[in-house]
Amino acid sequence: MMQENSLGRSMAHPLTGSVAPALIVAVFAAAFMTPGLLGNYEVEIAYRLMLYICLAEAWNLLAGYGGLVSLGSAAFVGVGAYAFTSALNAFGVPPIVGLLLAGLAGGVFAVLVSPAVFRMRGLYFTVGTLALGEALRLFMVNVPWFGGSRGLFLDADFPSREALFWWALGLLALSQFLITVYTRTRLSIILRSVRDDEDAAAQLGVRIYRVKLVAFVVASMLMGMGGGLQAYKLGAVEPYGMFGLPWSIDILSMVVIGGLGLRYGALVGAFFVITLAELLADYPEAHIVVTGLVLALVVRFAPRGVCGLVIDNWKRRRSETRGSEREVQP
Amino acid sequence: MSFEIIASNLLSGVLWGGILALIALGLSIVLGVMRLINLAHGEIMVAGAYCALVIGSLTGLDPLIALPLIAAIMVVVAVPLQQLLLAPLAGKGAEAPMMTTFAVSLILQNLFLVGFSADTRSIGQGYSTQPFSIGPISVPLIYVLGFVISVGIIGAVYLLVNRSAFGRDLRASALDPVAAASVGVNVRRVHALTFGLGAACAATGGVLVGIALSFTPTTGAAYLLTSFAIVVLGGMGSIFGTLVAGIVLGVIQSIGALVLGDGFRDLVGLVLFLAVLAVRPAGLFGRRT
Amino acid sequence: MKSDGQKNVPAIETRGLTKRYGGLVAVEDLSISFPKGEISGVIGPNGAGKSTLIGLIGGALAPSAGEVIYYGEDISKLPAPERARLGIGRTYQLPRPFLDMSVRENLQVALFSKSPLMSRREAAARTNQVLEQTGLAGAGNIAARNLPLLRRKRLEVARALMLDPKLLLLDEVGAGLVDHEIDELIALIHALNDGTRSILIIEHVIRVVRECCKQLAVLNFGKKLAAGPTQEILNDDNVAAVYLGAAHRTDPAAAGVATLTSARRKAKPDRATLLQLSGVSAGYGQARVLDNISMRVGEGEVVAVLGSNGAGKTTLANVIAGSLAPSAGKLEFGGEDVTRLSGDKLFSRGLAHCMEGRRIFPELTVEENLKIALRGDARRQTAQRLEEIYTLFPVLAERRNSMGTALSGGQLQMLAIGRALISKPRLVIFDEISLGLAPVVMDQLYAALANLRDSGLTMLVIEQDVERALELADGAYVLKQGRIVLSGDAASLSRNPSLRDIYLGEKS
Repeated sequence: MMQENSLGRSMAHPLTGSVAPALIVAVFAAAFMTPGLLGNYEVEIAYRLMLYICLAEAWNLLAGYGGLVSLGSAAFVGVGAYAFTSALNAFGVPPIVGLLLAGLAGGVFAVLVSPAVFRMRGLYFTVGTLALGEALRLFMVNVPWFGGSRGLFLDADFPSREALFWWALGLLALSQFLITVYTRTRLSIILRSVRDDEDAAAQLGVRIYRVKLVAFVVASMLMGMGGGLQAYKLGAVEPYGMFGLPWSIDILSMVVIGGLGLRYGALVGAFFVITLAELLADYPEAHIVVTGLVLALVVRFAPRGVCGLVIDNWKRRRSETRGSEREVQP
Repeated sequence: MSFEIIASNLLSGVLWGGILALIALGLSIVLGVMRLINLAHGEIMVAGAYCALVIGSLTGLDPLIALPLIAAIMVVVAVPLQQLLLAPLAGKGAEAPMMTTFAVSLILQNLFLVGFSADTRSIGQGYSTQPFSIGPISVPLIYVLGFVISVGIIGAVYLLVNRSAFGRDLRASALDPVAAASVGVNVRRVHALTFGLGAACAATGGVLVGIALSFTPTTGAAYLLTSFAIVVLGGMGSIFGTLVAGIVLGVIQSIGALVLGDGFRDLVGLVLFLAVLAVRPAGLFGRRT
Repeated sequence: MKSDGQKNVPAIETRGLTKRYGGLVAVEDLSISFPKGEISGVIGPNGAGKSTLIGLIGGALAPSAGEVIYYGEDISKLPAPERARLGIGRTYQLPRPFLDMSVRENLQVALFSKSPLMSRREAAARTNQVLEQTGLAGAGNIAARNLPLLRRKRLEVARALMLDPKLLLLDEVGAGLVDHEIDELIALIHALNDGTRSILIIEHVIRVVRECCKQLAVLNFGKKLAAGPTQEILNDDNVAAVYLGAAHRTDPAAAGVATLTSARRKAKPDRATLLQLSGVSAGYGQARVLDNISMRVGEGEVVAVLGSNGAGKTTLANVIAGSLAPSAGKLEFGGEDVTRLSGDKLFSRGLAHCMEGRRIFPELTVEENLKIALRGDARRQTAQRLEEIYTLFPVLAERRNSMGTALSGGQLQMLAIGRALISKPRLVIFDEISLGLAPVVMDQLYAALANLRDSGLTMLVIEQDVERALELADGAYVLKQGRIVLSGDAASLSRNPSLRDIYLGEKS
């Protein structure tokens, strides 16, 4: 699958693994700059695709590489969206600073809740984050601060479609960079050891809590920035939408369908789910039912998602032609 | 605030807590016996309410009279569902079945949306709004009925689990499935029936919620989380603990709604849930995690 | 103690170390020390608390009482990662590699967690060196999931070595290896002992202990039974007794009785076959534990399955009882092919399994634990069946309403036996019923089994205690590394000298 050299696969230089991600970013940019290729509708879809790829990459880092299956993504998206809106409204900072602050807010929020959610392991972490997301939504709806249930309006000019596209592209590039660094370097080895067996990793000197926290913070920052960008696009934030469960559901479905813990799982999953959503755009309920069905089928028959299916097929075909690569038992 | 209002609120909190405990019991049993976090539990509860609605409009049957029928329907639907979707995932870790129940919850939620629209429904009955008064204290009659029915069902489940041969198999399967199989227990069958029992508890609870309050296709999530809060508070697998925790949560929700406003009802429960999880983590959930 | 000087500070020392699990005491008031720079060993029968000791030293388990002192420093309160960073490396008895990572990545976990900024070249050199040293040189890029058991064991050692440990804890790295693999293992352990590194070995393969360890400690029931130079300890009769279970057979009169019984049993005519295994193999995942086992149990016969730890005895019991599906071969019970049947189906055909470790349902009462095995029509005779079991073990009648947790080890085992008998099965598998029990309790249990045998019950007895088992049985099969290496009638086997060798590993 990957190139062999004397230093071994994991020692491959991070740059060698960043060609494909850079290519993805380049494809989006090229498509946009080719005159007449993308209409308004296509630009809109491309924006959504890039936003969701970014969010799904963040979630895949957390769940796929770190074993932290969260159903609380909406909380971090929402925190980012509100932070962005508040920062622009209160201090009149430029959008770039707003986005950075949105990321910072997501990260800080992750640090704040980590003592509670990290005390839950495995499935209980999932339920705990679900409760966290819902609690935050109810909190935002009910307290009078931050505009209560009606939310806040953004005191800034609406960005043009083109500007939004470039922002999303920037975010996509950032997410690709972070995830590539995380999955191609020694950080990934440490993180995956925690996912595979926390106790065994501890016995090898891995400080479990710290490793989980760093991944949680990085993922939450990306989600916060994603939320910030979405707030910029909408020009207003309200708790039902920005803290809504659909964020968490969509992100999870994308990664699980694409391939949990696989480098291109988030990308493939986001393409799949958003294409499905567009095909069934006139039947929103049917869309979610079909997503649910696909999710159940993937869990049952292709636990490593669409990417896993492709990889396994390819491996099988290769081993048929070249013989098994597995070492012979001594 | 007058004494009457406070006392009425506390009493309705206790009564409401009984209904919550019934819903949570279903989740608790499934979690305890199958080690399954059933994320579709809330939707199964809502399914019970829609079921009562449909039966009511077709036959005119009073929903409380139809409760046994609804419970039976849920068992008949849930058992094959478990065997089809969850049983094949045995031995593939805890995540896969949970994801599957998550997918089921998405599907059910949107089937409700297609079938019944997003409108807020309520299973209106004469006694839905009728008050029940003891001196100056007054609570809705349906709360009293709901509490009595819930506690009755919880008691029946307690007897089933602790006194019957099936209950023995169920407890043994929860403690040690391999050893249970070695003394002849068909663990797969026990799991399927447990799932059915859990669904029946949720659905009957859903009918009571539907009469007392209202519901929409997306109501389930809040009750799922409330149920988790109760299971965590009461201790997994403890039926008596579930009842007590349900009542405690009902009272806390009532106080929260009274003091902070009605919107804080669910939030109070969730905050309590997170606080308990943070202070007493997996320990409350069970031995093996 | 401090004035001994740096030279004599032990690598690891425990003071009054105790670990309780609920009512069970796994390690009790253990004060023991191991010198630095040397290879030391801990031996003892199953359930003696050896792996618990490793867990307590490595930090995976928190002690209930007592202290762990590492090079003079009290580390009892340190969490596992910090202990690892101080230089304590451990292996797991059942290998726990990071399955979805390559072997090289598995090794680098320790390296990068300790020194994240190490240069690429140095990291590669260290990794390659350890891969070379542990015989995994060609396997660096294979996913750990695809490694066979032996190589997973090497990976365990390799991974721990990446910590550059000052104290290396090896938990049964020799179990399940064949002789030439054990040669390699011994060579590896010697190579690792560079004079400053201390190594603590927990091992059932006595050869490894004899050829590696200078010092030896023997644990039994969580307590120190003996400690001293290896040769001295291995020649100790008490130690041999703990292993062979002959502690109770020192008086010649009893031994005489044993021969008499065996002689009487031998005279039985051939019986109709009840259980037949043909070419059965089985294992867990990639690890093959049983290899081509064929055996038979006749109606009314008592057959013993003997063998040292890790030989595959319990796996064999699980395969016969239907809790583990065989990967090859055929099982017949009462003339029916039952190869693919699950445990509860086999139970309903009259095969009861008294499992290793008793597996009593702790939150069910004694009576419920018994009643659960009464199924279908048998439920109508509940009172009568319970009475029969209570007659056999009167103490259970006294405690019928107690929870499973409130019973002593011996009572739990009686309950497990009762639970296996109450359904009136055609065949009962007794798996290691004497494990962790005091000799006087074992005597009681075996007296009960002898009565059952005389009443005509067919039994398959899996036992470490060779003498007891052979005294009870008509015939026996001896397992070694998943294969049957000896079989025959009980009397001739008990005279066979190679039996002791198989247990203490004398034969190379």
